[in-house]
Amino acid sequence: MLMKTTRTALLQLDAACMRLGRREFGPFSLNIDQGERIAILGPSGAGKSTLLRLMASELACIRGSALLDERSLASWTLAELSRRRAVLPQSMEVAFGLETDLIIGLGRVACRHDPQLDDIVRQAATHAHAAHLLGRRFDTLSGGEKARVQLARVFAQLWDRQDGLILVDEPLAALDPGLQFELLDELEGFAAQRGHAIVAVLHDINHALQGFDRLLLIQQGELVGDLPADARALPHLEALYGVALTSLESPDGNLVVMPTRRTARNTANG
Amino acid sequence: MSSGVPAAATVHLAQSAAWLHLRRLPAGAVLAVLLGIGIFIAVQSGAVAVSAGDWLTPLWADASGSTPGGSYVLWNLRLPRAVFAILIGGTLGLSGALTQGLFRNPLADPSLLGVTSGAACAAALTIVVVSSMHLPLPAGWRIWLLPAAAFAGAFGVCLLLDYGSRWLTPGSIAGLLLTGMALNAIAVAVIGLCTYLANDEQLRTLSFWTLGSLAGARWPLVGIAAALLAFSLLALRRLTRSMNALALGEAAAAHVGVDVGKLRGRVVLLVALVCGFAVAWTGIIGFLGLIAPHMIRGWVGSDLRRLVPLSTLLGGLLLLVADTLARTVAIPAEIPVGIFTSLLGAPFFLLILRSASRRIG
Repeated sequence: MLMKTTRTALLQLDAACMRLGRREFGPFSLNIDQGERIAILGPSGAGKSTLLRLMASELACIRGSALLDERSLASWTLAELSRRRAVLPQSMEVAFGLETDLIIGLGRVACRHDPQLDDIVRQAATHAHAAHLLGRRFDTLSGGEKARVQLARVFAQLWDRQDGLILVDEPLAALDPGLQFELLDELEGFAAQRGHAIVAVLHDINHALQGFDRLLLIQQGELVGDLPADARALPHLEALYGVALTSLESPDGNLVVMPTRRTARNTANG
Repeated sequence: MSSGVPAAATVHLAQSAAWLHLRRLPAGAVLAVLLGIGIFIAVQSGAVAVSAGDWLTPLWADASGSTPGGSYVLWNLRLPRAVFAILIGGTLGLSGALTQGLFRNPLADPSLLGVTSGAACAAALTIVVVSSMHLPLPAGWRIWLLPAAAFAGAFGVCLLLDYGSRWLTPGSIAGLLLTGMALNAIAVAVIGLCTYLANDEQLRTLSFWTLGSLAGARWPLVGIAAALLAFSLLALRRLTRSMNALALGEAAAAHVGVDVGKLRGRVVLLVALVCGFAVAWTGIIGFLGLIAPHMIRGWVGSDLRRLVPLSTLLGGLLLLVADTLARTVAIPAEIPVGIFTSLLGAPFFLLILRSASRRIG
């Protein structure tokens, strides 16, 4: 990833805390720059999705501050926000079996006057390799096809925008590995063309290491690490998940890690 | 076109066709033609024979009192009733489509969720309690007392449903239906209590509500109903696009820029308004709001921009057919149309339940 010299902070969290039910999360302090690719990692229930929901302005800050473009997130209207950031949700389901064209077009529902809608829907679908799914009912699609359509919806939403923010909430967990990489590649290609930053909650450490610049490590509702996505992160990841990581280098130079049981390693070492 | 409102609905359809595909036009045209045929058959059938010539004897010729009976029946009884049936049916189809879109649930229906019963309950309370208080109201206001009470009742149930089901069973479709069932039971119990307390005259008025009938159709009422339906359809033209986003889920709808709270508030208000008025004028007519949108969904898909106007047309057609049957199967007696729609609609509901069983839970 090329480092631009004139990077400015897109999203700034300063000791931001939020509440979900009775549980409090935070404080989170971090900056997200334009065009960055950030993965959020952590054990189940640590608060990864909650942090993402704060960034999406779905949860409000109860203490501290959250700024998008140096403006408090709470002061953005939903329509303004929809032109700046898109969210690829964890749940892919859509009620009533709407047609895929309509669903992709819904990414632009906040645009009052949108003469190029049909055109953008088609291009976004092509970009997400979902063009062959246009005109079909959503509830007849397979899991992977649903993911493609939702991805196309996110593309349509930020199609004609620059330097936005794409938030991704574990949408790939249920898909087969080939498809996961393919969709991540498409997402990254789209974001890179337009300077959008990506923040993704991920389960798979390898996805995080191979496709992202920076890792945010979350444990028990707190940020415990903010580091670059390379081999230096491995000890932190071992501590985070309580596993041993064996690292390999793939023929093309990518770092690949394999979690193994702690007890197994201890036995082997000792 | 022989009536104002099918024409208004067709105009609405034609206008919306301009900013969408042309594919929907056939469905609208088919329904409009069927409505025309339906009106003709409805007006022709009944105890008193109506000849083709009676259509040519205009309304204003009646003043002399020498016009033949057939013409009087046609212009003053059957035609307003047929148009009224279409308007009320349209209202029910419309509110069904909106309720289903709002609650993201193909099984939602104002009568099933207790909204209709809530309106009837408020109307019953008005008949029994308020009328026995002998309030010094001007006569002109009395006509609006019942619709206003029914609207308040429908609105109250909508709000209770919305907040109650979120609080009791967040996100569960079954929870929503069960909350509606409980509210329905309360409303029915209060109606029962009113029946128990009512005197003979109030009892007669009450039984009209609980059974549902279009016998009160007169031209002035038809005019008000037409205005209400036209207003609702116009108000909805700008809302249906955003309402489609609700199908993504509330969080995702907010992410694409839809203010879900505001949208829900507006739609609930509209549903309560049309349901309240329909109940105040005709009593409880169940299941139409469920059937019409469901059939349209199978026909043209679930895009609310098409679903809402077409459900309105189909709801009108279905109630026209049901009312004509209710009037004519047992001449000279007349079966309340609410009984008819429930008899036909409840089995249909069971069929939908079978196909929707995967989505409930």
